[in-house]
Order: sequence, then C-alpha cells, then structure tokens
Amino acid sequence: MPTLAHYLYVSGALFSIGLLGVLLRRNILIIFMGLELMLNAANLSLVAFSRFHPGLDGLPGYNAQVLVFFIITVAAAEVAVGLAIIVALFRAKQTVHVEDLDTLKF
Amino acid sequence: MTNLLIALAPEAFLVITALVVLGIGVSAPKARGAITAATLLGGLVAAAALLLHPVDGNFLHGMVVLNPLARLFKLVLLGLGLVSVVFAAESFPKLHFAEALALLLFSMVGMMLLAGTEDLLMIFLALELTSLPLYILAAFAKESRASAEAGLKYFLIGSVAAAFLLYGLSLIYGVAGSTNLRVIAKLSGDPDPLLIAGIALTLLGFAFKIAVVPFQLWAPDVYEGAPTAAAALIASGSKVAGVFILTKILTLGLGHWTGTAGWGQFAPGWAPVLALMAAASVVLGNVAALVQSNVKRLLAYSAIAHGGYLLIGLCAADAPSLTAVLFYVIIYALTTAGAFGVVVIVEKQRGGSHLEDFEGLGKSSPVLALCLLVFLISLAGIPPLAGFFGKFYLFTSALANGRHLWLVILAVAMNAVSLYYYLIVLKHALVLPAPKETVPTAAPASKFLVVLLALAVLALGLAPNALIGPLSNGQTVKNIIINTLQK
Repeated sequence: MPTLAHYLYVSGALFSIGLLGVLLRRNILIIFMGLELMLNAANLSLVAFSRFHPGLDGLPGYNAQVLVFFIITVAAAEVAVGLAIIVALFRAKQTVHVEDLDTLKF
Repeated sequence: MTNLLIALAPEAFLVITALVVLGIGVSAPKARGAITAATLLGGLVAAAALLLHPVDGNFLHGMVVLNPLARLFKLVLLGLGLVSVVFAAESFPKLHFAEALALLLFSMVGMMLLAGTEDLLMIFLALELTSLPLYILAAFAKESRASAEAGLKYFLIGSVAAAFLLYGLSLIYGVAGSTNLRVIAKLSGDPDPLLIAGIALTLLGFAFKIAVVPFQLWAPDVYEGAPTAAAALIASGSKVAGVFILTKILTLGLGHWTGTAGWGQFAPGWAPVLALMAAASVVLGNVAALVQSNVKRLLAYSAIAHGGYLLIGLCAADAPSLTAVLFYVIIYALTTAGAFGVVVIVEKQRGGSHLEDFEGLGKSSPVLALCLLVFLISLAGIPPLAGFFGKFYLFTSALANGRHLWLVILAVAMNAVSLYYYLIVLKHALVLPAPKETVPTAAPASKFLVVLLALAVLALGLAPNALIGPLSNGQTVKNIIINTLQK
C-alpha cells in the first residue's frame, strides 16, 4: 500500500528531473518539457495531500483538487504563450537553441 | 452575491474594456487614438467604481478579501497600469496596437486580483494572469530580435519561478491542510521539514516577481529588449503587486516562522533567508549598474538593488517596517514609471536609450530633463524627494529593534555607490552638449504624465504623511497584517 511519503518521493523526483532538464538542456522545446514536468510534480503532490489529509468531515480536501484543475489549465495557457514566443524568436533568429540568445548581453 | 459583484466591479470593468478594445482593434485597427482613449476611459470607470463604491469584506472563503489597504493598492496598480497605457502609444509597434492594450488591461486585472486575495489558489491564478500577458508584451515588437529574445528569457525564467512557487505552495498546503492564509496561520510549533522546503521554494518563486537574487537575471535583458511601456509596467506594477502579496503571505500566513536575521542573534525562519537575498541584491544591483551604458539596463540593475532594500524592511517584520516597505514600494514604482516615461520620449526622439542618446536633453527639452533629475535624485534617496523619506523610514524602522544594523550599514554604503551611476546619467542629460541637432518630437500626453509623476514624487517628498497616513493609520495595516503576527 503506497503511503503519502511514496507519492512525495515521486513528486520530488519529477520536480528534480524537470529542473535538471531546464538547467542542462540547450533546446528550448526540451526546456519547455522540463517546465511541464515541474508543474505536474506540484499537481501530484497536491492530489496526494488532498487524498491523505481528509478534512473533518472525512472527505478529501477538494480545494487542492480544484487547484490542480486550474494548474492544468494555466499550464496549457502557458504552453500556448511560450510556443508563440518561440515562433516569434525563430522568425527573428532562425534558432531554438539557448546559446544563440546573445543579442542582449551584460 | 451582489456585494461580491460590487467588490469585483473594477476588475470586471477592465475585462469589458479589454474586450471592447479588441473589438475596436478588429474593426478599425488604425484608430490608435480611439483605442487609447477607450482604454483610458475604461480604466477611469474602474477607478471610479473602486473609489465610489468601497466594499469591505471577505468573499468566497477568502478568495476575494477587500479592506482599505487592498483597495489602496488596487488603486495604485490601476494608476500604474494606465500610465503604461499612455506610454504604450509612443513605444509599441503600430501593428496590433489594440491587442497590446488589451493585454496590458488583462495584466492589470491580474495585479488587482492579487492585491485583494488571501488564498493560495487565487494567488497562483492571479500571478499567472499578471505574468502571461507580460510575457507576450515583452516579445511584442516582433521585428526586433531584442524584443523576441527578451520575451523568451522573461517567459522561461518566469515559468521556472512559477513552478518553484507552485511546488512551494503545494507543500505549504500539504502541511496546513488548507489554501487559506488565515488557516495556515493557525499552524504553530516546530516547523515540519516539508513546511521549511515549502517556504524556501515560495521565497525563490517570489524572488523572480520582485527581481532579486537569485532570480534577478531576467531583469536587465527584459528591461532593455521589451517595448519600453511594457518594461515600465513590469518594473512598477508587477513589482508592487509582488511585494504586496509577498508581505501578505509572509506576515499573515507564515508569521510564526519569522526568525531573526540579526548579527549574532540568528534564529531560523524566513527572515534570515530574506536577509541573505537582500544583501546579495543590494551589492549586485548597485555594483553592476556602475558599468552600464544603456539607461534601461541601468534602471534594471537599480531595480534589483531597490528590491534588496525592500527585503530589508520585510526582514524586520514589525508594524513600522512593514508600513515602510509598502510606502517605499509605491514611491519606487511611481519614480520608476516616471523615469521610464522619460526614456520612452527620448527613445522616440533619438531612436535609442543609450547614455549618448540623452546628451543635450537639458537644452532641447528642459522640462523633461528636470523631471529626469527629480526621478533619479529620488531613486538615489536625496532629500527633499519622496525616495529619501522612503529609504529613511525603511532603514530607521529596520534599525529600531537594533537587530539589522549590518544590513542597514551595507545598504547605506551601497546607496552611496548608487549615487555615482545616477549622476552619470544626469551628467549626460544636463551637462554634455548634444552631438547633433535633433528636433523634439511632440508627445504631449506622455510628457504631461511625466511632469505629473515628477510633481507627485516631489509632493510625496514634501508631505509623506499623505501616503504614510492611509498605510499606517487606523485599523488598516495594524489589524490586517500585523495582529496575526503578534498573536
């Protein structure tokens, strides 16, 4: 029987994998996938908490589950905005690699 | 129910205005004057709704919470948004102008919702509603490489910060079992390791919003590359909203784990973390600004430094210093918006925002140069301008309990450094002659607004109580933020 801790380990692992993807990958689209993974790690932990910490009435904490639906929606909006910006960048610079982002510099 | 409708009327008016503006944009895309006028009109209606029908109360279990303090901040955010709308007419590309203004309005709605909520769910949603339009606005000048790059950098770093924030909020929810800040505040005793992780991740997420170390890297690039009106809103409104909601989360929800950041009196909590972030930001911002040749970039590093000053006040976390933080962030936002206004006009005249582009400004438009003087001197914190009183209150209240001497000494020393780069800009604007003759472009609305902001900074310097009063007087701050802390 998996306990809350198991879910939190998985969610922590997902978050770390996502963060590593963001930090280490050079292709913006892959970085994007890492970002999605980080958001889904938060979703997983929210659902696990709501399942394992029932309220006084014995029902799961529905607030967190509603929050998860909102996060899924916001993540979709974020992807739409992000891809649009990537397309704009590609038109201006013909690249999707972060090391080519060198117009603005210290 | 009707009360809820009245409470959310300003935001509703803004959304309706945004839809109307989009409609005008489709039917008459070239009528830029009409589009701006419609946007401003909608904003004024929203301001009137806010002022004429004040509703206080707690709606939908803390999702929407209105009190005088929240309404004051909503008004400030609305004002800052409308300032950017006026500047947008000068600095946004002519194509898709209506869409740009609609996005500005949506972002303003997000900021205003953020100022009036006490629930983690709503905080996350409002933050995203603030940020997503700003990402698009930063990338709006599509033909410019710098703008696309600024938009992407803002988006990537912002999304990572949002993921940090969200994961932190989910852990805080897990420990407290509720998303409501007042329920979270009932937790006490030794903090759970999960809660510590949650607080740390939340702080990291907010570091992005107010542009402090370690999430400060985006600021210089975005301020430089984004259309200047968008940068003005990012620098002013977005920062005010971020600081206000961070103050609320930390004092209202997490007041039990403040800790102390005093030299030799260390106690674990979020204050020591903030102190480290503040110290790093103050040093990095002020030192890096010394070598900048682009005024927008310089303002970005100065924004990082000012974010550090604000965090010093948050570290102290008592009633006077929180009042000082809120006072300072409003003053800072007004001043920065004005400085960006000058940049908008100069950019339009000379085609750039480098130091050389400011040369001869004192000759060609003395009023503008005088306004720039007021803004930069206020940012540097020289009396009798508002920035001086902001810093004065901030530092004296942080010193009052004698704990944060090391931070204040560092900040004051670094503030002296900041005087150098502000004066460099002023030297270029006031002393050096113009390299070539330039014809001043008429930008009457923006110019009028810049003068108005300069007068506001001057007036708040001469009579700071006009703003300190509503922030600290009566029941406002004391009841709403501090009482929870003292319990």
